[in-house]
Amino acid sequence: MSRRGFLFAAAGAAAAISLPGSRRRLLQMNGYPIDAETPLDALTTYITPNDLFFVRHHWNPVFPDPKRWMLTVDGEVESALRLSLADLKRMPKSSATCVLQCAGNGRALHRPIVPGVQWRYGAVGNARWTGVRVRDVLEKAGLKGSARHLHTFGTDAPPLKVPPFHRSVELEKIREDGLIAYEMNGAPLPALHGAPARLIVPGWAGDHWMKWLERLSVRAEPQKGFYMDVAYRFPKKAGDPGVAFKPEEMDPVTELFVKSNITEAPARARAGSPITVSGFAFSGVPDIAKVEVSDDGGASWREAELGSDHDPYAWRLWSFRYEPKEAGKVTLSARATDSRGGVQPKEAVWNQSGYLYNAWHSVEIEVAA
Amino acid sequence: MSRTLRTAVVAALWATTVLLLGQSSAKSPRAQGLPALGTRLAPFPRGAMKSVADQACLNCHSADIVRQQRLNEKQWTASVNKMIGWGASVPEGKKDPLVAYLVEHFGPDNDRFQPVVTGPAKSR
Repeated sequence: MSRRGFLFAAAGAAAAISLPGSRRRLLQMNGYPIDAETPLDALTTYITPNDLFFVRHHWNPVFPDPKRWMLTVDGEVESALRLSLADLKRMPKSSATCVLQCAGNGRALHRPIVPGVQWRYGAVGNARWTGVRVRDVLEKAGLKGSARHLHTFGTDAPPLKVPPFHRSVELEKIREDGLIAYEMNGAPLPALHGAPARLIVPGWAGDHWMKWLERLSVRAEPQKGFYMDVAYRFPKKAGDPGVAFKPEEMDPVTELFVKSNITEAPARARAGSPITVSGFAFSGVPDIAKVEVSDDGGASWREAELGSDHDPYAWRLWSFRYEPKEAGKVTLSARATDSRGGVQPKEAVWNQSGYLYNAWHSVEIEVAA
Repeated sequence: MSRTLRTAVVAALWATTVLLLGQSSAKSPRAQGLPALGTRLAPFPRGAMKSVADQACLNCHSADIVRQQRLNEKQWTASVNKMIGWGASVPEGKKDPLVAYLVEHFGPDNDRFQPVVTGPAKSR
């Protein structure tokens, strides 16, 4: 390991053990239902602690009693199931360390401005999720030949005439790597994050990760309703910013887009004295190939060093040593490239709901002589 | 009205609403034992339409989500129409004044919203 590599690993390990107390905080966007994002300077560790993980609720949740909770599996299956938490825990245990990002993370950065929770950077985190494979549960029930989609239901119910948050995921995806998680980072899944069990859909946006899961129903067709047919849809191709897309011009949000953020950079530096800029990068495909930093608006790029911690669909921490040459303001921009060749764009694709913002993240540094 | 009194009135209104609705989905976070993350129920700004906004919006969500928006008249009209369709109660003849109030306070140049810095989440 190079000296720099060693220092990076050591710094990463130290950060994982203890984040400074001043950084242990959340930024609450809404009183009720709770929406709170994590400040970027608290997203400097490979694993995001449970109590600093962003919280996103559609409405005030109904928390199931884990002792009486049952998961129903029905629809296009040979035999419907009713599984208790103890039943799930008796099944083979499986874990995945991966990113959970709200589809609307970065909404506040879209121009023209769009309505919704004005998330900036921190509706994202990386955690180790443990539970049972959806595949194993579906095999226990036995899929019929007509089975194509998994309809998912949680216990949270909307007020008044607000449509329910019912969703579906293609069976092909969910059978590949979906989990029903009852643990988060080695602890029982917290109530705020969907206890006793939630869906984990690695690489896909948070709207698929149903919290307070109570029913999985196998069907031939996708789910219908507001949260499938109107909300959580992304343009098939980019249009003019500010011109709303019709539902048929969009597809459901699925895979996350390749993205990196800068989590730490000094506001001030001195010409000739090296500084370190660091951050995280992830994508909707399993691996990040590289992260690059530019100090000239994207005319030239230099590769950052990737952290050693690494799992499919997890984020990759990165670090970049930069030596400012002269006094004045310098803007550093970061962009990630994933293992499928997807490159983080300079501009995000505008859409009226503000989903999947992934433009280059830039910071300005004041350089003294 | 003093600030304290205003806060008390908002709290009383909210408590009454919770009691009247009596639905689990309409209970306040505190009533549900929900970890509150230092919840601050920021009120709507003063104005003739404040009581209309309170009545229309606060059954389902706190004012914070409204206060962070930066929308033009067309966007606010669409948003209010959507919410009325979802059950928000806006008295006859009050829709246009409500939209005007929202545009006045939370229009495209609204840069006053700051998230509440709160501690780590305490959760069961």
